[in-house]
Amino acid sequence: MAERETYFRHSLKVNFDRCQGCTTCMRSCPTGAIRIRGGKAVVNDNKCVDCGQCMKVCPHKAIFIQQDDFDLIRNYGYRVALVPATFIGQFDEQYRTKEIYACLKKLGFTHIYEVEHEVGYMIDLYNRYMEAHPETRTFISPYCPAVIRLIQVRFPSLVDNVIHVRAPFELAARIIIRRLMDEGAPREQVGVFYITPCAAKIAAVKYPVSKKETCIAGVINMDFLYNKVQLMLHDSDKAAQPVNHALTSSDVLWPLAGGEACHFKGSQYAVDGLQNVLNFLEKLEDEAVDAEGLVEMRICDQGCVGGVLATNNRFVARKRLEHRAKTFDSQGRTKTRYRRYDDPEFCAWINEQMEIPEIKPRSIYKLDDNFAEAFRMAERMKKIEKALPGVNCSACGAPSCAALAEDIVRGDAKMDTCIFINRHSQASENAIRSIWGDRVRTKEINNDDTNNL
Amino acid sequence: MHYTFDIERGNFADAGQASSSVKRTLKHLGVDPANIKRTVVALFEAEINAIAHAYGGKIDVDIDDGKIVMVVADQGPGIPDLDLAMQEGWSTASPQVREMGYGAGMGLPNIKKNTDELKIDTKVGVGTTVTMTVYFT
Repeated sequence: MAERETYFRHSLKVNFDRCQGCTTCMRSCPTGAIRIRGGKAVVNDNKCVDCGQCMKVCPHKAIFIQQDDFDLIRNYGYRVALVPATFIGQFDEQYRTKEIYACLKKLGFTHIYEVEHEVGYMIDLYNRYMEAHPETRTFISPYCPAVIRLIQVRFPSLVDNVIHVRAPFELAARIIIRRLMDEGAPREQVGVFYITPCAAKIAAVKYPVSKKETCIAGVINMDFLYNKVQLMLHDSDKAAQPVNHALTSSDVLWPLAGGEACHFKGSQYAVDGLQNVLNFLEKLEDEAVDAEGLVEMRICDQGCVGGVLATNNRFVARKRLEHRAKTFDSQGRTKTRYRRYDDPEFCAWINEQMEIPEIKPRSIYKLDDNFAEAFRMAERMKKIEKALPGVNCSACGAPSCAALAEDIVRGDAKMDTCIFINRHSQASENAIRSIWGDRVRTKEINNDDTNNL
Repeated sequence: MHYTFDIERGNFADAGQASSSVKRTLKHLGVDPANIKRTVVALFEAEINAIAHAYGGKIDVDIDDGKIVMVVADQGPGIPDLDLAMQEGWSTASPQVREMGYGAGMGLPNIKKNTDELKIDTKVGVGTTVTMTVYFT
């Protein structure tokens, strides 16, 4: 493929030993980021939005999320597990949250801090942004990093509708670091490790849209810690001390679909699930729906409990979190607001830290910077698409005939790669070989052989 | 580049196909998002108008290097009083159409607002042809 500047990086990787080039991921990718080359799935970094759909559908478990080495936590004296409520939702209600946290401590963490503890201030940040932009009618929540990237590449006209505020875990990480420093911890001794339910949040930590530095020392995959904790829970410590800062019922529902929208006056829509998000963004772009106020959007079905690293069924996890919320309500839990929130200087610093200066449009559609050239390419693409068979067989290594037509005009593929167009030539043989590698069998099969297969 | 789409009376479920297709092409061409939006909003409104009021018709779209011309032509019934139809809030849409969230009387005014040139030829009993032009530069 032609050399281009790479502006997105990802933690989603393909294990080439496992990948069979079966095209399942390629056909399900919402941005057409995947092609088959050399018999394996290859991802275009500038098109991938970290939604995790490929990993969800891969029948060979060939797609994985690169996490940080767990032993990294040993580099710090204060080892904080930054836990999203989604993690708690993975466990049966019979286990109290303090038992789950006790297991995390046995694994080596010294402190536990819940991401949703800062929900109250996140709401303030959203409201502040919306008040500062009265000219905007529809605001899109910045909660799901995959939604932001999807808007950048497929719906660039909507980038200014996204609330320019960083993800909640960045706020929670800063607050717990401050709290520990208040208690006398040296900054360099505090390591905050975020437990992620998905690939998009890792990307948001490691390669943020804001281009600002993270204060998170590492990211650990949720399924990895789930397995460890679940094994330990059988003889868990029922007498464990509760953590210092407990969540309230509405905090614990925040990662679920609808958990965010309900906090905002006039918010009418909570959209979850990849296909639903795509359809709704399309409608917003066409002004075919009129959405006033905040639109919550989550790429995963049911919200973060549908994340690719969430082990348990999303509906079970949802029920569990709702059950815990009821328990928290019956306990009459309330929170004490972090005292530094009353300090205007501290708030100014936090607000600056949490701001995304710019969300750049990164259209994956634009064929060329020069309009006349793009026009020529678009015309050719239309002709090629008509010439192609339209069966979307993917034998060319592209997800559809339309995608192949685009690859051809961009110079990334040749007409020969379509087995319908060029069935018997050596050029076709070579092209198919370059896509499928050793999987192309040269053995002639005659009718007698097929009878014996 | 030329595109043609058919419009079927009362088929709201299929509305938006023309605007989606045109939007995709304009994105490929790298047209400024604000101009894409204007174009798509106008085309969608015109398409909805024809679906809601007309006995069927067709859409012709021509894109060249500086502009897009969209012609929505239907086979009647035609608009008896065009001046009234251009007024915001004026609508002859049926209660059924209104129930679907359309028919607020904003269609033609919204098209006028979003296009650079708008020409409407209408004759009662014959049909209406709406010609919309958006310049990209």
